[in-house]
Amino acid sequence: MQLSTTGTAAPGEPAAAPPTARRGVARDGSRLRTADLGLRRLGLGLAGVVAVVLLLEIVVRVGLLPQAWFPPPSEIFPDFAGLVTTGELFVPLGQTLQGWVLGILAATVVAVPLGVLIGSLELAHRLTRFMLEFLRPIPPVALIPAAVLIFGSNLDMKVFLIAFGTFWPVLLQTVYGVHDVDPTARDTARSYGLAPRAVLLRVTLPSALPYIATGLRIASAIGLILAVTSEIVVGVPGIGVRITDAQSAGGAEALMYAWILAAGLLGWVLNGALQMAERRLLHWHPSFRPGGGR
Amino acid sequence: MLDVRDLTKTYDPAGTPAMADLTFTVGEREFVCIVGSSGCGKTTMLRCLSGLVAPTSGTVTLDGVPVDGPPKDMAFVFQDYSRSLLPWMTVAGNVGFPLPYKGLSKAQVAAATAEALAAVGLADRGDSYPWQLSGGMQQRVAIARALAYQPRILLMDEPFASVDAQTRADLEDLLLDIWRRYDITILFVTHDIDEAVYLAQRVLVLRRPAHVHEVVEIDLPAERDQLATKQLPRFGELRSHVLSSLRAPDPAVLPG
Ligand SMILES: Nc1ncnc2c1ncn2[C@@H]1O[C@H](COP(=O)(O)OP(=O)(O)OP(=O)(O)O)[C@@H](O)[C@H]1O
Ligand SMILES: [Mg+2]
Repeated sequence: MQLSTTGTAAPGEPAAAPPTARRGVARDGSRLRTADLGLRRLGLGLAGVVAVVLLLEIVVRVGLLPQAWFPPPSEIFPDFAGLVTTGELFVPLGQTLQGWVLGILAATVVAVPLGVLIGSLELAHRLTRFMLEFLRPIPPVALIPAAVLIFGSNLDMKVFLIAFGTFWPVLLQTVYGVHDVDPTARDTARSYGLAPRAVLLRVTLPSALPYIATGLRIASAIGLILAVTSEIVVGVPGIGVRITDAQSAGGAEALMYAWILAAGLLGWVLNGALQMAERRLLHWHPSFRPGGGR
Repeated sequence: MLDVRDLTKTYDPAGTPAMADLTFTVGEREFVCIVGSSGCGKTTMLRCLSGLVAPTSGTVTLDGVPVDGPPKDMAFVFQDYSRSLLPWMTVAGNVGFPLPYKGLSKAQVAAATAEALAAVGLADRGDSYPWQLSGGMQQRVAIARALAYQPRILLMDEPFASVDAQTRADLEDLLLDIWRRYDITILFVTHDIDEAVYLAQRVLVLRRPAHVHEVVEIDLPAERDQLATKQLPRFGELRSHVLSSLRAPDPAVLPG
């Protein structure tokens, strides 16, 4: 479920600005009221999930969907619980997560400094623009055969694929963020005698951080898609392999869906964790300020 | 102390200059106001004086040293103060962050920050974020940052343009008080004639493209008061004088 919704963020989707650019929409309501609202939203969300699960159960039991391909939720959940209690879940989960972390890390380590360079030097911007415009639309999965040739069917290949796919959103968001630094803020730092390096560290990077964070959130979704893709297509160990194994085992459809559920939950947790980190790190940003700040 | 000679700035080589042959000097501990209509090149002038942009021609000398980058002894309060405050730093952080680059120790930074915030009446707001403060308070933070830097010369670009009249009067008096207490030279740009006459010892009238059209000595009593000073007949005369100087037809430029 999670996979298909996050899948709409195409690799290298042109820089989506953070929720609100600086001095954006003010939020109303006291902290208490937002807590209330949060509970209410959680309640409604849960009710929605329960309703859909029930509906699925009924639709399958009644025979509207063929039970051979669509096991009812009441069979999927026990299988999932089994994966958790036996601990079978955790090795593949760790493998998928490992590829995700290493790939995004590799992409970020290169994309952020490069983005700062391109964003702050007009010459670098002009030099790289056409190349970026050309490389960005390449669907990362198109590189799978080449990656297998170069690296073999292993973790390196998975990491490379994820790094390539997540490189673009992080790079573009960084360029965008650095471009968008308020000239007044930069001039202020300069007028107080800060050297270019200090201006970069104290003004440019912090002010580009909300954009970079958005890039990372896009990258997170893409990274998971590519991790599972490389597992399913190439057979690099991870959740994806378990999905195909269960599919070909015969009679293990519920187990297949349990693994799919695991992949969805992983995406959900990763997204939640990133959002929490963002909220904490960017508490000063207009989109995270408590109670109507502006 | 500040010597400006034949300063010219042309942004667009094909167009008219934003500043043309601007020449004036400012003495030690002087309070000079600069008035001019919107777009006449006041901000351009300050940016050249502060070494943020290079002039097309002409020289700026501070204490005999040519200015070719932001001088150590100078602080600049920008026209758009809220954008010059960094939202990810607290008020104290905003005031103190330039100081380590000037060579101050951690303890010295804390002391200078506290003193500057106290001077502008924000001693208890150091831990707030700028966006939690009102516009007038934010402006005072920007002033506190300039004070904490302990500059010998302070450039201010229409610093009170976007606060209400009462806050503005308070900030004006605060600035006069600071100027008297600290050993500091102030160059204050405004397009409010009342404000210029009230604050300054000398008013420079700028005309477009920025050049000094007239220098008006403000021979009001040194002690200024928002009500009493502004009721003096002399205040009214000086005010009209500056106003007519701003409006008088310039023989060199056709009206339009
Ligand atoms: N970076 C720039 N590039 C090109 N032209 C500029 C630039 N900055 C200012 N100008 C032009 O120079 C002229 C003077 O602008 P400046 O900002 O110095 O005026 P000002 O007197 O400060 O106006 P205001 O009172 O509205 O702040 C204007 O015509 C403006 O369009
Ligand atoms: Mg201006």
